Amino acid sequence: MDLFVSQLMIGIQAGVVYASLALALVLIYRTTGLLNFAQGEMALLSTYLTWKFTDYGLPVWVSIVASVLVSFAGGALVERVVMRPVEQSSPLVLVIVTIGMFLALNAITQVIFGTDDKHLPRAYPFEVWEVAGIRVRSDTLVLIGVLVAECVLLWYLVQKTKLGLALRAVASNPDSSRLVGVSVGTMLMVGWGLAAGLGALAGALVVPTTPALTPGSMQSILVFAFAAAALGGFDSPLGAVVGGLVMGVANALTVEYVDALDGIELVVPFGLILLVLLFRPAGLFGRVHVERV
Amino acid sequence: MAGGRPWASPNRVAAWLVGIAVLAFLLYVPQYYEATTVNRYTTAIFIGIAAMGLNILTGYNGQVSIGHGAFFALGGYTSALLMRDAGWPFLATVPIAALVCFVVGALVGFPALRVKGLYLALVTLGLAVVFPDVARKFVNSTDGFFDHNGEPGTVQLSIREHLAPPFWHDWFADPIADRLRDWIGARDQWAYYCALFLGLLLLLGVWLISRSRFGRALIAVRDHEAAAATVGIDLARVKVAAFALSALYAGVAGSLAVMINRSASVTKQEVFQDSIFFLVAVVIGGTATVVGPMIGAFILVFVQEWLDESDWLSDLLDDQRARLASPALFGIALILAMYVLPDGLVGGSRRLLRRLKRRRPVSEAAVT
Amino acid sequence: MRLRTAQRSRILSLLLVLALVVAACGDGRDDGDDTSAEGDDDTDQPADDGNGGDDGGDDGEAAFTIDTEFCATDPASVGIEGDTITFGTSLPQSGLYAAFAEILRGEQAYFSYVNEELGGVEINGNQYRIELLAKDDAYQADQTVTNVDQLVQDDGVFALFNVVGTRNNLAIRDFVNEECVPNLFAATGSPAWGNRDYPWILGTGLVPYSIEMQAFVDYLTETKPDATIAVLRANDDFGRAYSDTLRALTEGTDMTIVQEETYDPEGADVAAQVTSLAATNADAWVLGATLLGCPTALREADAAGWSPIIYMSGTCTSKTLMNAAAEAGDGVISVSPAIDPNDPQYASDEDLVLYNEKIAQYSPEADPTNGIVVYGWVAAAALVETLQRIEGEPTRLSLMQAARTLEVSDLPMMVPGATWSVSEDDWFLGEQFNLVQFSFADGFFKPLGELRSYDDQTEEITPDDLING
Repeated sequence: MDLFVSQLMIGIQAGVVYASLALALVLIYRTTGLLNFAQGEMALLSTYLTWKFTDYGLPVWVSIVASVLVSFAGGALVERVVMRPVEQSSPLVLVIVTIGMFLALNAITQVIFGTDDKHLPRAYPFEVWEVAGIRVRSDTLVLIGVLVAECVLLWYLVQKTKLGLALRAVASNPDSSRLVGVSVGTMLMVGWGLAAGLGALAGALVVPTTPALTPGSMQSILVFAFAAAALGGFDSPLGAVVGGLVMGVANALTVEYVDALDGIELVVPFGLILLVLLFRPAGLFGRVHVERV
Repeated sequence: MAGGRPWASPNRVAAWLVGIAVLAFLLYVPQYYEATTVNRYTTAIFIGIAAMGLNILTGYNGQVSIGHGAFFALGGYTSALLMRDAGWPFLATVPIAALVCFVVGALVGFPALRVKGLYLALVTLGLAVVFPDVARKFVNSTDGFFDHNGEPGTVQLSIREHLAPPFWHDWFADPIADRLRDWIGARDQWAYYCALFLGLLLLLGVWLISRSRFGRALIAVRDHEAAAATVGIDLARVKVAAFALSALYAGVAGSLAVMINRSASVTKQEVFQDSIFFLVAVVIGGTATVVGPMIGAFILVFVQEWLDESDWLSDLLDDQRARLASPALFGIALILAMYVLPDGLVGGSRRLLRRLKRRRPVSEAAVT
Repeated sequence: MRLRTAQRSRILSLLLVLALVVAACGDGRDDGDDTSAEGDDDTDQPADDGNGGDDGGDDGEAAFTIDTEFCATDPASVGIEGDTITFGTSLPQSGLYAAFAEILRGEQAYFSYVNEELGGVEINGNQYRIELLAKDDAYQADQTVTNVDQLVQDDGVFALFNVVGTRNNLAIRDFVNEECVPNLFAATGSPAWGNRDYPWILGTGLVPYSIEMQAFVDYLTETKPDATIAVLRANDDFGRAYSDTLRALTEGTDMTIVQEETYDPEGADVAAQVTSLAATNADAWVLGATLLGCPTALREADAAGWSPIIYMSGTCTSKTLMNAAAEAGDGVISVSPAIDPNDPQYASDEDLVLYNEKIAQYSPEADPTNGIVVYGWVAAAALVETLQRIEGEPTRLSLMQAARTLEVSDLPMMVPGATWSVSEDDWFLGEQFNLVQFSFADGFFKPLGELRSYDDQTEEITPDDLING
């Protein structure tokens, strides 16, 4: 029983990491309808920026906040400069543009910051507590806390504010929104900026739980984040969190209990996604789009 | 419409002439260039083959897949294992690899019926991620057909035994045999001509599909599924067939890759990268065009190489940074390409030609 | 329906462009084989089942016989033109394994030192400079294949040196063997280089992975002979070398392997596996991992509250990795064929002083305290030593023969008192080394006890399928 709970905790720990980045993916999708391949690398660049700030001597929390703000601006800029010219194009073209950004950002990060391992200090101390026989890490609690806060704030922003209303309008019907005076371009920029900010926060909190900041830090997380978002439904922030947790827990439990799948444990989480999508084609919490014929 | 274009319209003749010139050039490549360059051409050809396959699925049929690297790898493994464990010559393994991938592609196509768009893309990504693990587990296991030890997931082929060109002097009289040895006797030449032959064959296949009922059905399903169903198109059959065919193409491409790499082995990174590159080749060449993907593949391979080898970048930054920077340039080039030619090269040139034609004054048009 | 002028000119211009493109790119094809007619070929060696035949040498050392009958290019006729020997290497300089790029810095510093200050290498009465051409493969085996093709065929390198990666060297092994190009000091401790079918690839001074296990088992026999052992290993040939050898070695002893877990070397995602192993509460833990897998696993074990006797792969003994592991790395046992530059007991050792000086001079961007740089330095020294032992004219064949009978003791930065040797019966170089233990407080690896010597034992203890598989 103990081992089960330990592995459950391990799964949750991994899951919140995936969920953090998945949330950014979901946000971009909800505001722009786009699958952003470059989200991970944007988060990577933001994380290197955080590192640079700490390298200059700024305290960690200040660096993180600064990086989030800069990333917000950066994300908005990317939308204006890179994505705007192809806004009207087919989804495939947009995917290729984000792929181009993915390649470019990763390389640019390496050129600016070098390829050696960097040490990103933690924003909070590393503790392991024993609660009723279960080992709980401060990392897990902080990440969960941050995720919950992000979800609540996002929900409030999107559902209860005028800005949120404008974002939703632009996402569902840009032409009509233009007619009623919403500045579509600005809303798109805000969406990208928010997603970039989320990514920066995710990176700054997640990377210190790994041994070092390297150019590859975001790549494996990205694939799982995509999978988590798909599992939960691309337009549901709650789905992103649940999806991430499911992925993490499924993997950990398979490693522990299913020896026959030794080496191919990934089959389980990804198989789960396929299964879910077969029965709910828009993910667990996603909304299915009804087409008028 | 009244009859369509006359057979020998000026544009068609021009297209034929260009095609013949290009073909002649391609036939001549291994006679003129040294091995490394020839291998690069071979690589461009098989990437083009995989891209053509993906185009059937994504361009003509609208199902986006970012997992075709897995079929590519599967084809490679099939060929490599047949060569190593059963001693088959290379060309004989290609139909088997194609068949295996066709079947697996169909199997993947079935669940794909329920999953659409973005979610399908992610399911295929999942395939790309899981496949290397599965290969590592079952290739090189200790019993059965795959009975070899060594690096899990790797099938190593020796040149002398498996990859050398067939011996010609047994079949032909000496002067002919000598000629043949000269032309296709080197390993890189042999690999290239195999690739070229298969590439042309498969290109013909795409061309035939594009002009057939099946091709029209593909497009109909892509553009308006509900309407297509109303007209009587069997959605399931069309979509699964598209998956199966695209996987077949990728499998053949993977077999050819084994000739260049002298082994079959995959990592998640490679499968992911291959999947992305196939998609890029399709889009920059021109989705839903016959030659677009092949052209896109050539652009991809040669632009990448040009960026990697160019000196001006290392004059600007130091050597290490220059090498790191070339993917950045590549990514930026991709983005710019999408600004300028969102329909890809072939699509874009067609639009250009159409616009040029519209500029013609009316009187001149009447004379012809 | 004649073509209109506009279209005619369009086609012509296109053809012209094509012609220009053809003319502009690439060199002409050189179908010739490089068998220069000079000198006799030494191909009339006893062409028996090939390698390791008789010893015809009368100078004390057994001359190593390599069967060159099936070589695509006669290695005895490939010599050195001019006064520069060009070697080629392929290693990861970008991507997940970019940390290994530091090897190059150590190598280049040593070669610059030799070229500039020692007047180069002397072979058969002539002085030669050494040049190293490096290509990036991002640890991907198919890129290594392409790089080596280019290095050998386009750049015409004399031989290959220190290609990194087990998988990568396996990918080029057949090519190197059929072209008869020496691939010296392959930067991997894999037992696969003992395969007698492939005489043209020689492993490096890194301790072979299976010997690492023997050294640890001997250590456990002294300290805890009835230990329960947990194993975490990478899911590839590198990891298998550790687990399979360990299994073979613990059979029939009081030590038992209680659980073995694998992890995906591309992901370094080990939390679940370590948690599972920690639950066994085993006495000892063998960590067959590399690069970031090591510190990640160590930290996970620490977080799980598990403190067994830990053995860590020799490929992880670098300051950067141990820094990333922080306190979790304290007490970890490993092996090292070279001295740790952070160890104060060697502070005044002249080799270390020279090393620090030359790294600062020729590779100033490198961190001299990084074990990976040290490794490059030592490997380069081994190469120079091999070159100096070539008998007669330097050709690929004579180079390989010199390498296959190498016996060397005082390479700069090698563990004092150790000798590295290979011969017909023993194809493994790095069988003398120190067992070391990391001290977090002091920041370096301390030698544990005396020099360990396992000459000729690699092939004995390694399960046969790891060598000949």
